[in-house]
Amino acid sequence: MINPSPWSHLYRLGILLGAAFVAFLVIKALATPPSWNHEAWYRGDALIDMASQPLAHGANESCRDCHEDAVKKVKKLKHKKLSCEGCHGALADHVQDGDKIADAKVITESRRQCLNCHAELIGKPKDFPQFTMAVNKHKTIEEGAVCLKCHDAHDPTP
Amino acid sequence: MAPPHEALVNYVFPNDVHVWWSLMIVIYPYITGLIAGAFVVSALYHVLNLKQFKPIANFALVTAFCFGLFAGMPLLFHLGQPQRAFEIYITPHTTSAMSVFGYVYGGYMIVLTIELWLIYRKHFVRKANETTGLERLIWSALCLGVNTYHPDSEKLDHRLARILAGIGIPWACLLHGYVGFIFGSVKAISWWATALQPIIFLSSAIVSGIAVLLVMYTVVKWTSRAPYDYTMLKSLAAILWAAFIVDWALEILELVHVWYQDSHEWEVIRPLLQGPLYVSYVWGQVGIVSVAATLVLGVAVLGKGNGKGMLYLVNVGSVLLLIQVLLMRFNVVVGGQLISKSGRGFVDFHWEFLGREGLLAALVLFSMPFITYYVISRFIPIFDQPAGQAK
Amino acid sequence: MATSESSETSSDQDSRRRFLKYAASGAATILMVYIPGATAGHRYSRIWKQRSKEHQWAYIIDADKCIGWGGCVRACKRENNVPDGVFRTWIERYIVTEDGVYVDSPNGGLGGFHQADPEIQKKTLYARFIPKMCNHCANPPCVQVCPVGATYKTPEGFVLIDHDHCLGCAYCVQACPYSARFINPVLKKSDKCSWCYHRIKKGKLPACVEACPTGARKFGDLNDPESEVSEILREGKWSVLKPHMHTGPTCFYVELPKEVV
Repeated sequence: MINPSPWSHLYRLGILLGAAFVAFLVIKALATPPSWNHEAWYRGDALIDMASQPLAHGANESCRDCHEDAVKKVKKLKHKKLSCEGCHGALADHVQDGDKIADAKVITESRRQCLNCHAELIGKPKDFPQFTMAVNKHKTIEEGAVCLKCHDAHDPTP
Repeated sequence: MAPPHEALVNYVFPNDVHVWWSLMIVIYPYITGLIAGAFVVSALYHVLNLKQFKPIANFALVTAFCFGLFAGMPLLFHLGQPQRAFEIYITPHTTSAMSVFGYVYGGYMIVLTIELWLIYRKHFVRKANETTGLERLIWSALCLGVNTYHPDSEKLDHRLARILAGIGIPWACLLHGYVGFIFGSVKAISWWATALQPIIFLSSAIVSGIAVLLVMYTVVKWTSRAPYDYTMLKSLAAILWAAFIVDWALEILELVHVWYQDSHEWEVIRPLLQGPLYVSYVWGQVGIVSVAATLVLGVAVLGKGNGKGMLYLVNVGSVLLLIQVLLMRFNVVVGGQLISKSGRGFVDFHWEFLGREGLLAALVLFSMPFITYYVISRFIPIFDQPAGQAK
Repeated sequence: MATSESSETSSDQDSRRRFLKYAASGAATILMVYIPGATAGHRYSRIWKQRSKEHQWAYIIDADKCIGWGGCVRACKRENNVPDGVFRTWIERYIVTEDGVYVDSPNGGLGGFHQADPEIQKKTLYARFIPKMCNHCANPPCVQVCPVGATYKTPEGFVLIDHDHCLGCAYCVQACPYSARFINPVLKKSDKCSWCYHRIKKGKLPACVEACPTGARKFGDLNDPESEVSEILREGKWSVLKPHMHTGPTCFYVELPKEVV
């Protein structure tokens, strides 16, 4: 460089920084998601993404589509308020796109299925039907007997 | 019947079992603290004109730069999605203290790089004219193509470097202080939530920065068989000693305050300090390590020694302080997460050796700034002004 | 003359004072009853910038009704692919005894609970199952600390996470006083209960509410004055978790024992 001024290097630095700054602003504008909500500070399209998550459970009404009779029958029984899927598994494990993909069998038919709710535990409301294994009415119960041997799963009243 | 207040079991919320911020988040503030501390030492000469620190002013700046290059690495190692780290520049959420990291760190590195460039530009110009081929190209690029050194530009550069150093002090303080605020503002974690947090972080940062410079200076001079500047060392050790006493006082103050108030924070902090943090906090951070460091440095600074003996004492004290500050970072970051938000239990911290947040990764990462310093020192005369020691 | 004047003035003053007293106490009563009931979540809204006029969702948990079955935890896991070891919702059991409080949550209550130690049972004064989840606060500290705007409060009251934007830095996990958030070990991003936003948008209830057999979990629209949640809040006997944190939860508890944190 012939006869540089004492400022030459600073001019160049300034130009370099300026160019980098402009480039940064351009990249930032391009990289900001188009649906960005600048007041509440989130990506607006995220709500659409969240809403598109597939449902796994259908709720009791969805069982009616194929099991009208069964649903009507249970609606008159003790366990009518319970979620069908709570014992029979999620709808998405049973049906996909309207076609059955697997049985909706109960997870287990052992005692635990019933005792999970009905075993006597401190913490449960006093008026909730709960039992120990030494319930009077079961004086003659065999070892390892399953509740379902004598009780209807949808209406367990003895 | 006893008052029914006490918890009888170690109950931890189901989601509380993991310590999410692990070793990487321990060494991250450690590294930014070293940057802030080293920069402050450099500013002792560049801004405050304390002549006795002129010999290490540029050395401190280069050290700050070397640590600065790797300040972001622990964060990248920690993130679940490191490839999205750039989002901190695109959509920073300014209600979050963490959002300022991108701009404060990036801007600070630019300030630091420019200041270093102004200081060592004379050397770059000389090398650009002395070399040929590819090497010449690189040195010319570093000169931004201005390969002649105008005599008036020296004063200009010096003035500009001084301005940048002045801007750099508060900027370095923000670069490290915001980390303290990140912790101090989390009301959900009693061990973190105190207004003193940013101040304690900053004061211990300055301590660690001065300490690392003292040790590095000794090692560099020792390996290059160059003479030690004992007067400067004693002066710097005095500042280190004073800075640590202030830092230690702040740490004790925070402890005494939360103990005395005896509020819901102390209910979980007391068992934390008596239990998981007993060794690292009570004995380590505020206990033996601090006492030993204060004594050793006190003898070095107040004593009459001005030679090798003082040098050894100063180095021992500095190493102790580097340990103390690292313990402090560990105790704050990990300790806070050991308290379950149930208020009734404590979580275990599991050390990892391999893995993203493991000990090995932390050791390798922490050694990188020192290796970088060594590489830079092969190309640039860090301790000498490019053309003599004028002024 | 002077006496009658002064007696008139003093009786005027008396009646004015009485009027003011009644007015003040009346206003205070109305405010004390109305404000908490109708605007419970709205009190804290420093972060909640955009409010919907259509729906204002709220969740209510009746701590007297939960039987600790765990079907809600299982339903949520299935509905939202929640990995093992982390929970979007969970159940805790608080056993208050003469000597203090026992709390447990075996695997979040996923498989239900088992009977407590007989020694503890003997000393038990009372016990409750307490379901927990993200409180979808009106003033959420998690939203405040997210560095990139990956978590946010929607106009209808949901606090959601944008999984296409989250860095996985875990600051929000630290900031939540309720431990509702976690880093999803599979996705390596922050995750938490979303009140089954995807189900609400299709007119359904959250999976946990659907599963609950006893009505311990309720979800509804505060903008609908006839909804169950509105009625319960109007009764005024609700409480929230960690009220001193001022997060303004929109998850309300009824009959919450004071030992619950």
